[in-house]
Order: sequence, then C-alpha cells, then structure tokens
Amino acid sequence: MSKKTTDPRLDDETRLQEFRRVAKEVAADAPQLAKIAIEGLIRDHNKLFDGSSQSAGRAGRQSGNVSELTAIAKVKPGGAARLRRIFDLTGGNFDGAQRVSTLHDMRFVFFDDDTRIIFATTYDGDWDTYINDFGTKIPGLMDLLFANIEGWPGIDSPEVKDFIAGHQIDAAGWFVANPQVTVVDVRRMQRMEAALNDFMDKMSKNDAMDDTTRDALSKLSDAVSVPEGVDY
Amino acid sequence: MSFLSNLRKRFDSKRVTLQLDDIQGLILRSRPEPYVGIHAMLHVDDAAGGRDLIGRLAGHVPSAEGWTEDMPAWMGVALSHAGLKALGLPDDSLKSFPLAFQQGMAARAAQLRDEGENEPETWEEAYQNESCHIALSIFAQSDAELQRVKANAMAELEQATGVRLMGTHEFGADKEAKNPFGYRDSISQPTVAGAGVEPNPGDERAIAAGEFILGEDSEAGSPVAMPSPDVLGRNGSFVVLRKYESCVGAFNDFLREHGSDEEAQDRLGAKMFGRWRSGAPLNMSPDQDDEALGADRDKNNDFDYSDDTKGLICPHSAHMRRMNPRGSKLTILTDQNIHRIIRRSSTFGPKWSRDMTTSDDTGDRGLFFIFISARAFDTIEFLQQEWINRGNFLDLGEERDPVVGLHEQPGRFTIPDQPVRRRVNGVTTFNRLRGGEYMFMPSISALKWIGEGSWLRG
Repeated sequence: MSKKTTDPRLDDETRLQEFRRVAKEVAADAPQLAKIAIEGLIRDHNKLFDGSSQSAGRAGRQSGNVSELTAIAKVKPGGAARLRRIFDLTGGNFDGAQRVSTLHDMRFVFFDDDTRIIFATTYDGDWDTYINDFGTKIPGLMDLLFANIEGWPGIDSPEVKDFIAGHQIDAAGWFVANPQVTVVDVRRMQRMEAALNDFMDKMSKNDAMDDTTRDALSKLSDAVSVPEGVDY
Repeated sequence: MSFLSNLRKRFDSKRVTLQLDDIQGLILRSRPEPYVGIHAMLHVDDAAGGRDLIGRLAGHVPSAEGWTEDMPAWMGVALSHAGLKALGLPDDSLKSFPLAFQQGMAARAAQLRDEGENEPETWEEAYQNESCHIALSIFAQSDAELQRVKANAMAELEQATGVRLMGTHEFGADKEAKNPFGYRDSISQPTVAGAGVEPNPGDERAIAAGEFILGEDSEAGSPVAMPSPDVLGRNGSFVVLRKYESCVGAFNDFLREHGSDEEAQDRLGAKMFGRWRSGAPLNMSPDQDDEALGADRDKNNDFDYSDDTKGLICPHSAHMRRMNPRGSKLTILTDQNIHRIIRRSSTFGPKWSRDMTTSDDTGDRGLFFIFISARAFDTIEFLQQEWINRGNFLDLGEERDPVVGLHEQPGRFTIPDQPVRRRVNGVTTFNRLRGGEYMFMPSISALKWIGEGSWLRG
C-alpha cells in the first residue's frame, strides 16, 4: 500500500500538479533557481523506466520491482571484529548472496564504538517472500552473518520475520535509477548484449540478406546507434 | 490401475509415523474420480452455540486412519480466524496464529497481488467482511453417499443455535475429472513423508511431513510455527480457499485468434497448460494428445524437464511448469520442496465445449482452488508474487502465468522454438477471483477441544 498524503486537496490533482504544489510549499523561501531544481527532480518520466514509492510488503520501501531494507541493531560484544574478519575474507564477493540472485547490494556499517550496526540492502520483490527458502537453502550463511546480532533467533526460527521487521526503519527518501530492472534482468541483458553484438558482427558480413532481415536489422541498429544518457 | 489399488500398492503401515487417527482424512485423501461434493459456509453469531456445533461435527469427520481404504464419502471442517474469534477462543491462542491468517485473505490483497478485477471489493458477498467462519466440505463417490453425509451434517446444523448457513455450493465432475477448460487436473500431488506411501513413478521424493502437518518436522528440520495450545495446533494444517470464475469463452477465443485450425488451437492450449486435455504431459507426448496416457495414473506423471532445459517441448512459462518446476533450473535461489501443496480443488459448471465464445461467459463455470499446507499463507503469497504474476524466476521479466495470472493489460506468452521463440500476445485474465479466505483445518482432538470449551472454566 502506498503511503499517500491524506490532504483532501490532492484528490483532484494530477501527479505533476501535486509535485508543483509541494515544491512551491517546500521552496517558498528559496531562490528561484532552487525552485527550478526541485521541479527538475520530479517531472514526469517515460513510464517504462518509472519508479514509485510504495511499501515493500511489511516494511521498507519499494520502487517498481526494487525494494530497500534498512535495519539498525545491537551487535554482540566482539561481533563487529568477527564480522570484519568475514568481510575481509570475502573481499567483496559473497557467493551466497550471488546465488540468491535478488540482491543488488548489501551494506554493513558499524557505529557507536562497534556496538551497533546498520544493515542496508537493495533487492528485488517483497522482503519476506524468499525468507523460507533462505532458511532451508543457505541457513549457514544467514546465521554466519547475523549470529553476531543481539537477539538473532536463527534463520529457521518461526520468529525470524518478526525479528527483522522489528529492527527495520522505512527510508524517508530513496532513489533507484532502474526501478523496473531486477538483478536477473541485468544478467540476461549482459548475455543478450554479447550475443547481439556477435549476431550483428555476423550480419555485417552477410551480403545475401532478404528484405525482412534487412528491415529488422535496420530497426535494431536505429535503437542502439545514438549515444543516450539515462535521463529519458 | 484404479486410484485406490495404486495407493494400496505403495502403502505400508510400517512406514507410518504420523498420528493418522488425529488428522482429518481430507488432508491425505485425494478426491475420488468421478466425484461429487458440496462446500458449505457457516457464520457464527453465538459462541457457545458455535462451539457446540463444532464438537458435534467432530464425530462426523473421519480421521486419516485407513486413508488408503474404501471411503465412500468424507467431510472436512476448517475455520477462519474470524471464526475462531466468534467461537470465543482465548486471546493468546488467537494471537499465536500466523499474521497473515489473523488478517484474513482480503486484508492480504497487496501481498497476494489481488488487484484491479481481482480486488476484494469486487468479491461475492459471502467472502466480504470476514463473514466466512466455518467451511464444511464433503467429497463423495456418488450422489447417494453425498446425500447421506450431507443429511448428517444438516441435522447437526438444524440443532445448532446461533449458527447461520451462509450458502452452499455443489460441485462434481465425471470419471475424466476435467477442469472448466476441458483439461484433466489435480494429477500431481506431493507425497507426505510418514503417511505410509512411497511416491508414484516420476513424483519427487516424499516431502517432510511438517510441510503439511503442524507439529511435525519441516524441510528446515524443525516444525514451522504452530498455534497454541498444543492440543489446538498439533496435527492440524492450514488451507487456502480461492473461488475462481473461469472465462472459458475468452480462452477459446484466444486460442482461435492464434491458431488457424483445431489442431493448432489444441497445441497452443497444451503449451499454455503443459498438458493436453486428456492429462497427457507435453514432455511424454510432444506432438499430439494421447488419451490412454492421460488416463493412466501410473504413467501420466512420470517425467521431469531434464531433457527440456530450453523449454522447446514444454515452455518455461506454461502453467504446469511454473507451479511445479520438477527441478528445472530457476534464476533465483529457491527450495522447490517447500512450495509444494496438497490440492483439493473442485470444478463447477457445465463441461467444456469448443464452440463457446466470450459472450457465453456468464460466470457459471469455475473452480474452488483449495490447497493444504503448513505454510499455506506464505506459499500462496509466494506463488502469487513470484511464480504466477511475474517471470523473473524464469528469466522472463514480467511475463505472467498464462492460465491463472492476473492480466490487467493483455499479457504475452513466450513459446521457445527453433530458430527463434514465438510470443503470443493478448493473454487476458482467464480465471477471475470471486472470493476466498485463509482457513485452519484443526485436528480431530482440536475440534473436540473447541467443542468442550474447557478454557472458559479456567
């Protein structure tokens, strides 16, 4: 469910009008340049690449297919040092996380003299959908990472969902460049890119092309022949 | 071979580790073929009257003891969370159930992707306002047996005070047991470890009993969360009930639009379901239907997709392959053994005919999709989000299930082929949700415990 404002004045406003009104309220004392900048933040984009900001199931926010989870928890004594050793060992490669195939990133930040941790991740879908699968497929990795958190009930515990939800804080603001694209999509696009270039190499040397093939190839080339930024 | 002789051949009482005499028979016993039956929905206005009825109904619910023997008819009883509340169960008990069950199916619409034409506001009245408290289901081999068991239940109901009959729905299918679209269904069922039978040829290994029976060890090694007290939760299970209206004419029209003749239409239909109308799987009969294979319970499920990794025979996106990937490679880390369900669906309405068109879709055909699992609510929400209304787990982006997916905008169906895949556009919602509820199917001792209401006497 999206957490929409309950201001009744918004009922008949289009999204753009709503943005403009909020921008005006927010920027009432700001110079004109800032107002233009705020409008630039919020103008309508191509729907294919559009984000949104809804609740990701029980907690956290969701934009398109992508969600965020931010949790703050107490770390057991010595836990930060143990986790640092694990992170150093992996050198940024988490094989288990790769296998999951829904995690865009994970971030572990210690603060308050290593007594507390911020865990933040961006992932595809709703947060609790695959929790049961983690519990039977990679229980060791999950427990290795989180056993240093105070009160961690274990990944196979019936209470694990409540435990995570209880430590989560919804992000107030959150931006996703490619909200419609999942981790799996990116990998397929990388494979397609390589295969497509291979195909185009072969076609560039193919003189005996029928009209349908020539036409389809011209359209394909048109779609990828002009350098494009991502602001469209 | 008949269903029962097949079952008995695989049954050995020495393998039984479950408390069969406490588990409702309906959980383990598949519906007969042919089958008739009735679903009834009750609403409890008076807690004491409701408890009294539950206690008396317990005497009419056969246990799973002897579930491989002749059973001419049997009844099952399930309760919603609103029902448990209306029966006056203690508060700490009510709060010990899974969150999704406490909230009820309508309140879980966001997690279930029940949006647009499927949103709860459009459901039939019986499913509105948490009014479904008690669900009774009777399955029978014959009409005479159905009437006998139904008469027993109705006699108990007439004696009850403060319990209203909200509605009944009779259903049935002939020996071919076909769904509203003319396809034999409910063929593949998981084997429950500890129930005493070995898997059929082609079935996956037996699944840990705790995936289906509360209190038993699950695939994770320990039991899943169980409601308290023990007598209430143990040997029970959870049930998902969803009533679908089947848009058979629209489905026929879709096949006609994309298939030049009947043969091409039937082939497209088989690609969408994964089986031909007889029940013969594409992967055992790739080019045409095979009636004898479809009807043969010993053979019609004896396959997997290990020779079809590209989906050239059965598309990755076919309904049957989505719902039970049988070890197919999936993009996302998934334990396929914890998403298996015991299906107890029932079909209603006239039989399928080829000449129906969209204008014949008047809402009189459909099915009650009913399944049982100790993780029923996690499972249906997982299925709705990931395996039905998405394609990410198959590397298919946002493509949805062509048979049971919600298609607010006309969707597409990808059919792998050589030298290049074909995409069929214009898939609409062929099964529209008309209502549903999350239910709890207690053990027989739990039904008696509710009937006695001993917690009220401290």
